[in-house]
Amino acid sequence: MAELSTTRPGVTAVLGSAEACELVSALPGACPVSPVEVAIVGDASITALRQAVQRVDPDAVVRDVSDGWVLHTLRGPGAREAFARLSELELPASGSVQGAVARVGVRVLVEGDRVDLLVPSMLATHVLERIEDECRELLA
Amino acid sequence: MTRGTLRFEGRGIPVEDGDTVASALFRAGVRTFSRSLKSRRRRGLYCGTGECPNCTVTVDDLPGVRSCVTPAEAGMRVERGRGWPSAEHDLLHVTDLMHPLMPVGFYMKTFVRPRFAWPAAERLIRRATGSGRLPEGREPSRTIVRHAHVDALVVGAGAAGLSAALESARASERVLLCDAFPIGSQVAPGPALDALHAHEAEVRAEPAIEVLDGHAALGVYDGPTVAVASAGELVQVHPRRIVLATGATEMHEAFPGNDLPGVWLGRAASRMAARHGVSIGARLVVVASTDEGLEHLGTLVAAGANVTAAVVPAAFVDGVPPSAEAIVDGELVSARGPGRVRSVIVRERGQERRLPCDALVLSTGLAPRDELVRMAPGEPIELVGDAALAGDVPRVAGGYICLCEDVSAHDAEQAWAEGFRSAEILKRYTTATMGPCRGAMCGRALAAFAAARSDQTDRGAPGRTTARPPSRPVALETLAASVHEVIEKRTSLHETHLAAGAELGWSGGWKRPFAYGDPKDEYAAVRERAGLMDVGTLGTFLIAGRDAPALVDRVFPTRVADLAPGRSRYVLALDEAGYVADDGVLCAFGDGSYLLTSTTGGAERMDARLREWTHRLGLHVHLLDRTSELGAILVAGPRARDLLEPLSDDALGTDALPHAAHGEVTVAGIPCTAIRTGFVGELGFELHHPRSRGPELWSALMRSGEAFGVRAFGLDALELLRLEKGHLYVGQDTMPDDTPAKLGLDRAVDTSKEWFVGKAALERLAAIPLGRRLAGLTFESGPPDAAELRGTPVFAGGEIVGRVTSAATSPTLGRSIGLAWIRTAEGELPADGLRAGDALATVAPTPFYDPDGERLRG
Repeated sequence: MAELSTTRPGVTAVLGSAEACELVSALPGACPVSPVEVAIVGDASITALRQAVQRVDPDAVVRDVSDGWVLHTLRGPGAREAFARLSELELPASGSVQGAVARVGVRVLVEGDRVDLLVPSMLATHVLERIEDECRELLA
Repeated sequence: MTRGTLRFEGRGIPVEDGDTVASALFRAGVRTFSRSLKSRRRRGLYCGTGECPNCTVTVDDLPGVRSCVTPAEAGMRVERGRGWPSAEHDLLHVTDLMHPLMPVGFYMKTFVRPRFAWPAAERLIRRATGSGRLPEGREPSRTIVRHAHVDALVVGAGAAGLSAALESARASERVLLCDAFPIGSQVAPGPALDALHAHEAEVRAEPAIEVLDGHAALGVYDGPTVAVASAGELVQVHPRRIVLATGATEMHEAFPGNDLPGVWLGRAASRMAARHGVSIGARLVVVASTDEGLEHLGTLVAAGANVTAAVVPAAFVDGVPPSAEAIVDGELVSARGPGRVRSVIVRERGQERRLPCDALVLSTGLAPRDELVRMAPGEPIELVGDAALAGDVPRVAGGYICLCEDVSAHDAEQAWAEGFRSAEILKRYTTATMGPCRGAMCGRALAAFAAARSDQTDRGAPGRTTARPPSRPVALETLAASVHEVIEKRTSLHETHLAAGAELGWSGGWKRPFAYGDPKDEYAAVRERAGLMDVGTLGTFLIAGRDAPALVDRVFPTRVADLAPGRSRYVLALDEAGYVADDGVLCAFGDGSYLLTSTTGGAERMDARLREWTHRLGLHVHLLDRTSELGAILVAGPRARDLLEPLSDDALGTDALPHAAHGEVTVAGIPCTAIRTGFVGELGFELHHPRSRGPELWSALMRSGEAFGVRAFGLDALELLRLEKGHLYVGQDTMPDDTPAKLGLDRAVDTSKEWFVGKAALERLAAIPLGRRLAGLTFESGPPDAAELRGTPVFAGGEIVGRVTSAATSPTLGRSIGLAWIRTAEGELPADGLRAGDALATVAPTPFYDPDGERLRG
């Protein structure tokens, strides 16, 4: 079974050169979006991040974009099984992937039996409804 | 032991332990299991392994069930699909006698003339074909759809498949093992089955192997991805490699009488005898030319069957029991009816002999089930076990090549004579191999037929046909289970709109309010007082980085180099052909960055366009799609500023925030980027705010506006408001090949710029007269609500010269107005004499309302 919960964590967008993004892509909660963009989920010091990346790319952008995202979390032994009903993405043991989940672009963070789906706020209800429908037998 | 009864066409039939539906019916005396597709010939049990179409019946209202591999359950309702009035006495069997009327490719030859008779013929054909009726009003069943990522997918859980799965797992691979049937269900009881079950236990104990028995592999697609389905589940498997252990079927040969009830493949006959204890006939003739065939002969005799003759090669003579006559190296010529097998003709040393019998058992070769590899050349697929055999070449000497589609050897001869001279085009013309067995029975016979003749012509292409999914029958409901098309985007104000009684509808992938009540009241509020609209659906982008000015200068044809910080400008987006793809508003900031808003439906395309040109031009630009992060509320109307001022300490007057300016303001304690826009033609403030604060901001604005009679307005009111201003909707009012000049938007193009996307095309097009233009129209003596005119053709004289793209009746102007594209004559629009429906139309300048823009600058 899997537990489903929805939260609105802090999300910081870092946009900069590939070198600048590489600096932050290994931080906890980091979700590389492209070689020149990283989303960081969780509390992050924007000032510290900005200072770090702007040393490499002076006009890199670091912004709080929390309002743009909602986190649907699947947790428990059935979390990966539930995810497999929503997406053809292959989950790593831990780390992040991005791609179509319930047919919309989602950033996925995974650690053991916990799968975090970072979904654009405007699509949060759509993804939630798809999870509740497709995975109904698996949800606690 | 009897386990109750099933209902078969009104009568009770006992079900015994281990029975399939077919074995129960056969034991009870049923010999005709189905009628063939076209000729309505009787068909009886044949392959016994779930391949051929002969045993398909309707079980509990579900048609197309293969009774030979379906366990019988007490209480089942079983019927035969085809047959009028019944499968036993089918009057449509007359079609078998009218073969000249239904030759090969008959659908292109007969029922063609007279044409007026076609509808009647079509109804008749529809009623006569099919294999049972789908139940009506049945609730869709739940099918779980999931993806599985594995190192190896093993298809087929016989001995070879089980070994392959174990070997992979022991090499530390993740394995998925599937089989269309329960493991071991195709093997007769005995040592072989015991060994298989022991092997199965090992596999099931292996944690790296997921076993999906009862799941058929339907097709191999790019990736590779393999669709694997059961009645309640569709698994899309993404393997790194595929092992096909699908085994082989017994070979189907074409000879006269080969489709008569009483002709059995060896596996079906021996299973019926050994597993179900059912005698398939009183007098059997067995034709066996393989080791397996000899085993079947032994099995039948051991089960007490009366085998009167066995046609075998010389090497097998010792295996023929003394009770049966051994006919050495004999050749089966035909099976004779009528209605069922009553005798067979065998040629022995040049002489034909008639052997009376009521069952003919054939075991003459193997046909590997290799369709999945023939479906996906180039994919990493390995064949093991019987599936890897070269297979035998079947004889085609009359009778039926394709049992599913009723294609006889004679039909194939005729098609060949008509010029269809390869297996692939014979397949298309005759439909052989396209029926429910998916070519498992007939594919080799068709290929053999073509190969035998292709040396007589240099056009022939011998070889098997490409296989197509699904390789096994599957319910459309199972395939459709993965399809969920609706994606609904919502703004933060969704619940607020619902609470206000809004009528929501689709717009660019979003659910948006079209009206909250009477759109006329909403319109009046905007024109006379103030209105609020949720415009959080607009695409919103931050464009930053040192090359941001260069990007916007090149992506948009509009002059933007002189756009001062704090100012905004309407911009067009062109494609490289110079056609208008989108539009938006660009706001410049002091740090060299920009905020761009695009149309609701065009946001994703705009995002892609900006990223593509950043890449192609090699610019250092940071692009952030803020559509989801920002909400936006438009406050518009002559009292908009009065509504906002009590909520903000920031200066909102024309000096601080004039038309086409923008600024950072705090409204009701919420930080907003306020853009002075004029889409509706009134004083307007677009308040872009953090999405999470949307409901709070909306409530504060509503409360503040109560004193002025503020109203929320939706898309219906907006349609009229923007049309009065002559503003177009890209998509609704434009065509895919509209240039700025055709739309009257030259002002948004600065041709003095060195380069922009689409410039070269616009320069070339400038030399060509405009074929049409988007123009404003006023209508007279038309319908009371001019919106009815939208989409109607525009006539000049008797000729269509255009089409109305938008139309409405304006209460403020007291007339009907619209936009239309109209064909030009030598670059000029026709001056008069236009009609749209019953309305007289006259070309009129736009904007219709407040042409000098005094109100929106207020």
